[in-house]
Amino acid sequence: MTDIELRDEGRVPEPAAAAAAPALLPGELRPHPTPVQYVVIALILVVLTSAEVSLYYLEGTIPNSAIIPLLLVFGALKFGLVAAWYMHLRTDKKIFARFFVLGIVAAVVLYLIVLSSLEVFS
Amino acid sequence: MATIQEAPPRPPPEPPTAHGGEPAHPPTSTGTTNVKLAIWLFIASDCLFFGAFISAYLLYRGRPQTGPKPQQVYSIPFTSVSSFVLLMSSLTMVLALAAIQRGDLRRLRIWLMATALLGSVFVGGQIYEFTNFAHKGLSLDTNLFGSTFFVLTGFHGAHVTVGIIWLLSLWGLATQGRLTQKDAEKVEIAGLYWHFVDVVWIVIFTLVYLIPPAK
Repeated sequence: MTDIELRDEGRVPEPAAAAAAPALLPGELRPHPTPVQYVVIALILVVLTSAEVSLYYLEGTIPNSAIIPLLLVFGALKFGLVAAWYMHLRTDKKIFARFFVLGIVAAVVLYLIVLSSLEVFS
Repeated sequence: MATIQEAPPRPPPEPPTAHGGEPAHPPTSTGTTNVKLAIWLFIASDCLFFGAFISAYLLYRGRPQTGPKPQQVYSIPFTSVSSFVLLMSSLTMVLALAAIQRGDLRRLRIWLMATALLGSVFVGGQIYEFTNFAHKGLSLDTNLFGSTFFVLTGFHGAHVTVGIIWLLSLWGLATQGRLTQKDAEKVEIAGLYWHFVDVVWIVIFTLVYLIPPAK
């Protein structure tokens, strides 16, 4: 494996991260975002939430078949932004993201099977 | 005859330090601390916990039943403000973490308290919402909508309450000078829990409140 592949696996720190080691917390590969970046993410979250609420009030004006996918996309974007930036999955070791994805996928698969067995989708 | 004693071998150099002498990357097989690994495992398991209640809500959603229906009791403007408050508490939480990483303990205390207060506003709003629903005739045993809604949002509110107690404990430690820059990981762990509670609410707000029921 090359150094870059190992770095992507989270097994060796990046050179920049190693140089900035005194500021790193355990499990971090790169420094956390700056406070300004955190505020920018918060503003994006506010805009997405406003868009979601606006869509809710458009019910009846545009079909539900358009509203529901858009609401799901906006919700997924908000979820991803908080997980990546505020929970630091962008900058931490990949093992944490794998745990999180494992939990989400296990929950979705398990309950899709349960709901299917109860003929919810038929 | 004097003997020359050899100097003991020097210990190997310490790995880079995070804050004040603690090893930056602990010598575990995962390269991180067990407590951070544990909180992520807890979060993964809590996905299944909330997944069960969200599935139960979706299962019974829109089925014919007596008593108030979701659209008759929900107040979307009110819940939107609550969601906004919880989102902003995630911002103050990361600002608290950034403050302790910089060694700015005054701002750490301010942001921790701000996060706890915003969380309290959210829980207060949830209590008001539950009381309002009860006045409209919806309770835990009114119908399946009431049961699944109150269990799902009630457990979420309980998680937020635990988070508030955790944050206030950290604030108390910081006030006594027992939470310093080298304890940044303690704030990060509490932050991970808090953000998880926030992302769960993002899912609940979209799936439970905003998505219109099937006609």
